[in-house]
Amino acid sequence: MIKNYLSIGAIGLIAAAAMTSCSDEQQFVDYNAQAHKVDVQVLPADLAKVRDYVPLYAVIAHRGSTYWTPEETEASWRWARDMGADYLESDLQATKDGVVLSLHDDNLKRTTNIQSVFSDQVPDIRRAFYRSLTYEDGTPCNFSEADINEQYNNDLGNYYSYYPRNYYYAELLMLDAGAWFNEDNLEQARASFASTNNPLQETLDAWRADKNAQVVYTNGQYISALADQIAYAEGKKLNRDAQGRRILPYHVKNSLKGKTLVEICSAAPSTEVEGTTWTAQARYMDFLVYDFSNAYVADDKDSGNRPGIYIEFKESWAQPKDMEARVYKELDKWGWNIITKPEANNQFYKDGKVNVGNTNGKVILQSFSFDATNRAYQVFKGRVPFCYLLWTDYPGDYATDIKYDTPTGVAAFIKTMQDHGCHIIGPAISGAPNNYPEMNCPWQAYMVRRAGMINHPYSFDSQAQITKYMGYWNYGLDTEFDDLMKVTIKKTPYSVFPGESQTWPIYMDGCFTNHTEMNLQYMIDNGMRCNANLPNPFHPGQNFDNSQAPSTVPNAVELLNQLGY
Amino acid sequence: MKSYKYIIMSALAAFTLSATAQDFDTDPTLNIDNKEKQVKFTVGARFMADAAYYHTDFTPLQSGASITDARIRTSMSYGENWYFYADFGFGGGKFSQKNIFLQYATKDANDGVHAIKVGYYNDPAGSMARQTSLGSYHFISRAGMSNAIGAGRALGVTYKYSTNNLFLYQGVFTENQYNKIEAGFNGATLAGRWLYRSVGDDANWHAGVSARWAHLGGGETVTTKGSSVLKKTFSMGQSLETYVDEDEQFLSCDLPWANNVTDLGAEALYHNDNFFVRAEYKHRIVTKKRDSYKIFIASQDNIDGWGGIEWWENANKLKTNHFNGAYVEAGYKIFGNPYKYDKHNAVLGGLDGKALEVVARFNYTALNNKTEGEYFNAGRGHYYAAGWMEDWPGTGATSVGGGDVYSTTLGVNYSFNKYAQVMLNYTWHKLEKDFLPYDKNFHQVQARVQFTF
Repeated sequence: MIKNYLSIGAIGLIAAAAMTSCSDEQQFVDYNAQAHKVDVQVLPADLAKVRDYVPLYAVIAHRGSTYWTPEETEASWRWARDMGADYLESDLQATKDGVVLSLHDDNLKRTTNIQSVFSDQVPDIRRAFYRSLTYEDGTPCNFSEADINEQYNNDLGNYYSYYPRNYYYAELLMLDAGAWFNEDNLEQARASFASTNNPLQETLDAWRADKNAQVVYTNGQYISALADQIAYAEGKKLNRDAQGRRILPYHVKNSLKGKTLVEICSAAPSTEVEGTTWTAQARYMDFLVYDFSNAYVADDKDSGNRPGIYIEFKESWAQPKDMEARVYKELDKWGWNIITKPEANNQFYKDGKVNVGNTNGKVILQSFSFDATNRAYQVFKGRVPFCYLLWTDYPGDYATDIKYDTPTGVAAFIKTMQDHGCHIIGPAISGAPNNYPEMNCPWQAYMVRRAGMINHPYSFDSQAQITKYMGYWNYGLDTEFDDLMKVTIKKTPYSVFPGESQTWPIYMDGCFTNHTEMNLQYMIDNGMRCNANLPNPFHPGQNFDNSQAPSTVPNAVELLNQLGY
Repeated sequence: MKSYKYIIMSALAAFTLSATAQDFDTDPTLNIDNKEKQVKFTVGARFMADAAYYHTDFTPLQSGASITDARIRTSMSYGENWYFYADFGFGGGKFSQKNIFLQYATKDANDGVHAIKVGYYNDPAGSMARQTSLGSYHFISRAGMSNAIGAGRALGVTYKYSTNNLFLYQGVFTENQYNKIEAGFNGATLAGRWLYRSVGDDANWHAGVSARWAHLGGGETVTTKGSSVLKKTFSMGQSLETYVDEDEQFLSCDLPWANNVTDLGAEALYHNDNFFVRAEYKHRIVTKKRDSYKIFIASQDNIDGWGGIEWWENANKLKTNHFNGAYVEAGYKIFGNPYKYDKHNAVLGGLDGKALEVVARFNYTALNNKTEGEYFNAGRGHYYAAGWMEDWPGTGATSVGGGDVYSTTLGVNYSFNKYAQVMLNYTWHKLEKDFLPYDKNFHQVQARVQFTF
């Protein structure tokens, strides 16, 4: 009898073995289920308060627009502002003289004509530039030739191919930041994006006439300063002279009288914020003062929209170590630091205009960088909305990637970023033309929502992407994420869907877009904008009111025409 | 005279086998005994099939069944001194090289046995558990730490001296039995197991130590910008004491730039007719070596330079790693033949004949070797020396997060006869691994049918 049982048991085991897979490759992991199981740290109350500074379904004009205009220029941000975007987005870098730029690439080759103007070297005009400098009171600096030569050698030693940190801001204003766009985007090209003068030759001519003359700037689109971006958000434009060149004189600080260039260079600049001093590398020289008092004028084409700015701290190793503190001070300088100058008005939209730029949500910080996020946390202490941007290149392993884009990995990032003062997660999305990795699947959006954080995916370039993340991913069918992600939206005077309401999953709370016009129109048509009764996902049972947002979207091309491009 | 000769030959054959047979855990049934030529040839086989059900907190394991072992075993003895053994595995549907060796053994005037063994077989210091054939083991799998920190078979030569009080076993081995290494040379291992013991009729015990030193010679050529260095990586790991899903992701680590591996162990065993207990502890030290300067120089090919080798080394630190593990196993025989001690291999024998026993084991394996103050992020899969996540350059961290596990097993084994046995184990694993923060508890029930002849 036992023998029979043994035989049956052995046969049973063998049969089971034949039907059972044991390879690791086939191991079944259900991210959807795990997204419910993992522990997700919930945004603490102090950060949740700052999170609510940000409007729901914010449209963030990615670099102004990379599609319609040269990115991060006056043209792109004037266009985005008048189009009705909630935020003007940019990337922050610093020049050799410490001016905070709004510039995406770590080098200047793609978006300027620097290779034609300066070649791959310290500008030839650098010695003459030093000779031309004057103090704020107008007296010439008269640095000695030996000092100028030694400083020039310092500049050579610190040279880093085409990085903005090699150049003084005045030198960068000689570069054309629009012509490249016309060459790369024939369908969107506009002659007015490109400059028409020759600043290098004109500068040399000016110095021949007067060795203390100022550098002659280009007359097209410029590499922007953060100050410029803020001005555009405030409804201004550049003040230009009769030849179309911006007006921005510069001088050496009076307080540096008597110091040599080499002495100035050897003293590492520093920035003090709330009792903490942040020191930059010695190669940065904060010795020039740019006179912005006459740099901007009211934009005659201003739509009245007042968007906020959404600014990114870039790779930390390519920036001064006091970059975050510099930005704090720069925001202070222009009245955009809500820590030192909080806004009483929190009405995101007013009288059919965007009003985000007049609320505590006027500035959102963002970064891919751990170091920058950590330093920003020490400077801003979570009191300004901060978005941590996610990227993955698995199996590649860039230093700041989320290498394991799994529920466990996402939960770990959420915790770390909350612990460093972040309120927003910015995942990449798939789709042409960028074909980024998909990091905003329903389970990922669900985890961000569980954490009580805002979800701002990037970057939207097509109608397909907009519809995908704002309702169509599951065609409205029930999913395991509906408890937090499904939203019922009532019709508005401007919505176009049939019936009184429609219910669908929305896997984002705002978006970075190169097509502001497309996103805005979709949201208006589907009741996500211009609606007094939007369900507030962060405060269940409460409504979010954006009924005062602009209800019409300008024609993108006509607006460019109206702006004079 | 003829019958007298047969008696002598039988005795010699018995001596030869008993002096060598760690490998046939049961006397093989099929024997070809040519007494004229003093040759005895045996053939045997072994089959094991396991079924397992797993319950986990988070990451699933694949419940099911598996052919754990299918093996053909042969041996030949010649005269009173020579013994040859070979077995070949077919488990998992793949051929695998198991033991194959030649042994010369002789007995001295004090009844001490001197044995020289050459071939591919278990390293003396690999662990007591791995010296014991799985067919004679009292659990479905060996204690986890013996797989993670112990060593297995290797190609080498050993000398063993054993008496009723001493067991001295040492030898030298190569790193790879086929010399199939991508770069470098075949490393060498010195290993030994030294026991003091009392071997009697009813109760036996032993206690002793083991040591193993391995120099890793083989690795891979890492070429950066035309400059090549030899990178040797040492890997270690264990499954969750199961063969149905042998996933080692829960307990494993790779140690780049490993150079030497030193294992130190201690063990003890006691048994009487109805009870056994045995325990083992192992500590592993892995030292590192790297041609840092060459790598540093190769990285200086662009403007993203490092500045100095001190900075580079600070961002890419090397640390000597320490790991350890231990287990204690005990069993009580309810009925059946007495427990046996295999004095030639200094291990506990398996069940023999109809028997029923209950067993218990506690094992811990520590493959976490963390550096205080370092921070781990599961999304990055990295430790950070600064205590928070940093960008470029490297993290400067030295922690290893291979995982710590505490495993408790209860089992019951029933042997129908000398050939057939069934086993049932329940195991609870408690895991601590930074990379898998939600995998804490693993429960598993395993059953085995095994047949050996």
